[in-house]
Amino acid sequence: MKTFFLSLKTTVWTLLALVCLFFIGSSMMPTHREIFGPMNDRLLFHWIGDMASEQVWLTWWFFGALAALVLLTINTIVCSLQAIKGRWSRKDFLLRIAPQVVHMGFLFMLLAHLLGAGWGYKLSGMLAEGMMATGLPENRALYLRELRAEADASGFPRGWSAEVFLYENNQPVKIGSLGPNRPLFYKGMGIYLKSFELQPRPAALLLVAKDPGAIWALAGGILFILGSVTLLVLKWKKA
Amino acid sequence: MEITLFILYPLALYRTRLILAALALHAALIAASAVKYGRIPLIGLHDTLGFLAFSIGAAYLIFGWKRLRDWYSYITIPLILLLLAGSLAAPQMHGPLPPVLKTLWFELHVILSFVAYALFALGAVFGVLFLMHGRKEDEADQYRNLLLGYVLFSIAMIFGGIWAYYAWGTYWLWTPKELWTTIVWFWYGLYLHARLVRGWSGRSVVWLGIIGFVIVMFTYAGVGLLMKSSHEF
Repeated sequence: MKTFFLSLKTTVWTLLALVCLFFIGSSMMPTHREIFGPMNDRLLFHWIGDMASEQVWLTWWFFGALAALVLLTINTIVCSLQAIKGRWSRKDFLLRIAPQVVHMGFLFMLLAHLLGAGWGYKLSGMLAEGMMATGLPENRALYLRELRAEADASGFPRGWSAEVFLYENNQPVKIGSLGPNRPLFYKGMGIYLKSFELQPRPAALLLVAKDPGAIWALAGGILFILGSVTLLVLKWKKA
Repeated sequence: MEITLFILYPLALYRTRLILAALALHAALIAASAVKYGRIPLIGLHDTLGFLAFSIGAAYLIFGWKRLRDWYSYITIPLILLLLAGSLAAPQMHGPLPPVLKTLWFELHVILSFVAYALFALGAVFGVLFLMHGRKEDEADQYRNLLLGYVLFSIAMIFGGIWAYYAWGTYWLWTPKELWTTIVWFWYGLYLHARLVRGWSGRSVVWLGIIGFVIVMFTYAGVGLLMKSSHEF
């Protein structure tokens, strides 16, 4: 059993299985939007519980991919543990540690997806200018003070912004301006201006999201870059 | 002016280094477009096919600096011309960037992605050369191209994730484009691991590198044309 998890062939065949499953998934998604569209609108665990588990003939590829990712995770951990066992010398330290840093980065990314799939929240809705959205998680509320949009001479939207007040326990805790690529963060929660309308009255489509996996994804990304660039330099010289 | 590139690029068929003239003009055209529209010219098929052709040309020069006239050029130059023809046939997007794309993360994401695609293309070319002649150095060149391409592609994906997190509140979306991007990532990860399996090097692994570029081209062009995704701007 240990040999199976330790084998590079397991890695290769599992990656091939993932490629095939994602291929099937990508061809099913456009034809069953009613099933797969909500994957992005809510927490993935909720989608699995409410929809995916009841439409298994359409979502089997997704569960297959999850199983393959679990196998790949075990395979990665076992291989990395094996690789760091034994005597270390200064001469090949970087060559031995770099792939493990890449692996750790990959595992952090998977952990990020797991945390983001099961915890945190995602809420979105239209909020008219001058209105307050109450009942947000963690006893928070959001007030949209003003919405602004700019267009160039041809009518092309040049930018837009929304000034919001965030309340926690009925006390204002943060004021900020939202815009494209400019969310407002507070204690791990992000507030995003997704789109807006000016007629019949100015209103913004806002997203309030908290993803406890995001920081792990960032850490994983940094580790992956560090490890792979180091490996690239070392292997390049060798090749 | 773009038509001139169809005369300059084939000069490399005579001698690799002659591609410099084509690359200089092509770089100038890309820069001129950037100045004209006040943005990086990497929006839509016209821009990106042209940039991909340019990136392949630049990588071709770097990896083939010392090569004389051979199949390396006979395969790569027609590929560049094909991409250029596609670029000219596609409509050009005029005007500034949509506000959501005005961020350094997006620019780095796109530039690194296409440079990685170019390296994947050359990796496939070296794979074909290995299949034709069986020279070990072609296999090694394929590996170097694909390793560098994989690292740049990974960085591009991470930058894309950071941009998406700022733009949409999530670093990952379940859409066909994201799935295919992950397929590319997994595929080249598979290639890099398969090389390490005892007895698997040689033709079978080289084929993985060639098939990889077919997957890349489908991810780039096919997914956008056939499936709705978050990458439509």
